[in-house]
Amino acid sequence: MEPAIVACGLTKVYKEGPVGPVEVHAVGGVDITVNEGELIGLFGPSGSGKTTLLSMLGCILRPTGGSLEVFGNDVIAIPEDEMPWIRKRYISFIFQGFNLFPALTAFENVMLVLELRKVPPDDAARRAEQLIAEVGLAERSSFLPRDLSGGQKQRVAIARALAADSPIIIADEPTGNLDHSNGVHIMRLLRALASDRRKSVIVATHDSRTQGMFDRILFMEDGEIFGQKEMVK
Amino acid sequence: MFHIALRILTYDKVRSLITLLGVVFAVTLIFSQIGIYLGLMQASSVLIDNTPGDIWVTSKNSRNFDFAHPIPEYMYYHALGTPGVEWAEKLIVAWNVIQQKDGSTEQIEVIGFNPDTGIGGPWRMKAGEPGAVKNGNFAIVDESATRRLGKIGIGDYKDVNRKRIQIVGISEGVRSFTTAPLVFTSYNLAQRLGGYISPDSTVFIIVKKLPGYSVREVVASLQQRLSGVDVFTKEDFSFRTRMYWTIETGVGFSFLLTIIISFLVGMLIVGQTIYNSTVEHLKEFGTMKALGAENRDIYQIIFAQAILNALIGYVASLVITLVSVKLYDMTGMTMVVSWQVNLMTLVLTMVMCLLAAVISIRKIRRIDPAILFRG
Ligand SMILES: Nc1ncnc2c1ncn2[C@@H]1O[C@H](COP(=O)(O)OP(=O)(O)OP(=O)(O)O)[C@@H](O)[C@H]1O
Ligand SMILES: [Mg+2]
Repeated sequence: MEPAIVACGLTKVYKEGPVGPVEVHAVGGVDITVNEGELIGLFGPSGSGKTTLLSMLGCILRPTGGSLEVFGNDVIAIPEDEMPWIRKRYISFIFQGFNLFPALTAFENVMLVLELRKVPPDDAARRAEQLIAEVGLAERSSFLPRDLSGGQKQRVAIARALAADSPIIIADEPTGNLDHSNGVHIMRLLRALASDRRKSVIVATHDSRTQGMFDRILFMEDGEIFGQKEMVK
Repeated sequence: MFHIALRILTYDKVRSLITLLGVVFAVTLIFSQIGIYLGLMQASSVLIDNTPGDIWVTSKNSRNFDFAHPIPEYMYYHALGTPGVEWAEKLIVAWNVIQQKDGSTEQIEVIGFNPDTGIGGPWRMKAGEPGAVKNGNFAIVDESATRRLGKIGIGDYKDVNRKRIQIVGISEGVRSFTTAPLVFTSYNLAQRLGGYISPDSTVFIIVKKLPGYSVREVVASLQQRLSGVDVFTKEDFSFRTRMYWTIETGVGFSFLLTIIISFLVGMLIVGQTIYNSTVEHLKEFGTMKALGAENRDIYQIIFAQAILNALIGYVASLVITLVSVKLYDMTGMTMVVSWQVNLMTLVLTMVMCLLAAVISIRKIRRIDPAILFRG
């Protein structure tokens, strides 16, 4: 079985620091293989490079070194204007800040992804309703994000990520803005995505209480992975 | 993507309303400037356009209808004898003064036409007949003159250059560009009213060509036969008059300037709103890109906002303009609203709003993915 993501020596050096031309070695030489149906946790202190690594794995940030394959596609070699295509096909995102369109209802936020994929409107509406029901928000599908709690917003974001039906889901601190019980709820949803739907889910997080839910945990510091732990079930 | 633009606009109602007000302000101004300009241009050549005939003979280098100089009257006979001429007619247009009852004076434009043919005379009467100016000190004034001359009725007497003249008719729709009242008299009376018109001179000769001759042909023959004068087709003379007022007086430039300023103001208002909205939604647009949207998909949302602003603003402005046409009319001005003007303004509005959106496009192209992950 082909791995979802294979990265070797993945490196990112930011040329432009926040205060002028300083080189920042955010990620240095990371090797990582992500398999289908795997829920991976990425732990590390603030500034260790988790977000940078996820951005590269998610094909929204160009590595400055190393190699990266997504389902056999050599991402480094792909020209910039084909990157949307790779993302559309393989990758979905869940963000700490939810990033929902404030003007669109929960339902419409999910619909948007389907529209971008040119799904016929009737099918799209049916799927969007179904996904929103799956994350337990059937009653709130016509709510605007401002009328939803943080946990509910993140569930909409998960429904949106699911709508894309992409094999890889990348989540950067998805529980960072949530209290513990909501955080656990979101983690359970992500756990189910990996187990039941065979998605490859990579989650960067600070929350060590959720460690037990992952298949594999990677520890990052100073841009490098210095430890790995397989979890037994 | 259109419905997303609509949702973004309706989400922030206050901001959208202010933007729309800006668009309406700019577009209404553009409408009125174009409309008033065209109204003035219509007025400037109204007499030429409403007089039968194909060709106008004028003094040398005469640049417009209102300020033509006298030419010898015998030219009229030369014109009549030119091949291809069906008929010719004399017409005097001369400045004069009217003495008011209170002792004040008003500048007027006296139009002396042949009452037997009515050529060059009023074409729409509110009261009386054009022919009534014949054989005596009679005149017809336009109803619009009441703003300058006070209330005038048939049978009233007015003093023009110390000659007592009786009003025998009221015409309609004869507004001059200069806003000076137009007073129609017989050709003979106009010659005798004095001023710079002598009894052996006319100001214009209007010529009708015979069927079978082209206008150009007859113009060429007249130019050859009559010396010391200019010969124009009716259309050329009308255009020349309009261009005189547009360019020589700076009127056209000032209208153009107002239109350009309105356009820029509208563009700034729309541009900065769309820009602000884009910046505020940068994270969401970035998210769309992360989820597989191409720049093009997001451009569509931004341009759709611009188009919505343009369309709604345009329709509102059109309504305001149509209502205010009547108001202008009451102040003695004409504002032209035609489908050409409407179309032109629509295009201007669209260009204005789309240009305004272009600034935001750059912002989309270089979204920094880092913003996506900021909490
Ligand atoms: N766009 C950027 N330009 C320059 N330097 C950057 C940029 N983004 C991140 N960095 C730097 O790269 C390093 C890694 O940052 P990154 O955001 O990947 O860490 P992180 O592990 O996600 O931290 P946190 O847990 O706080 O989210 C930091 O030193 C950061 O300052
Ligand atoms: Mg981070």
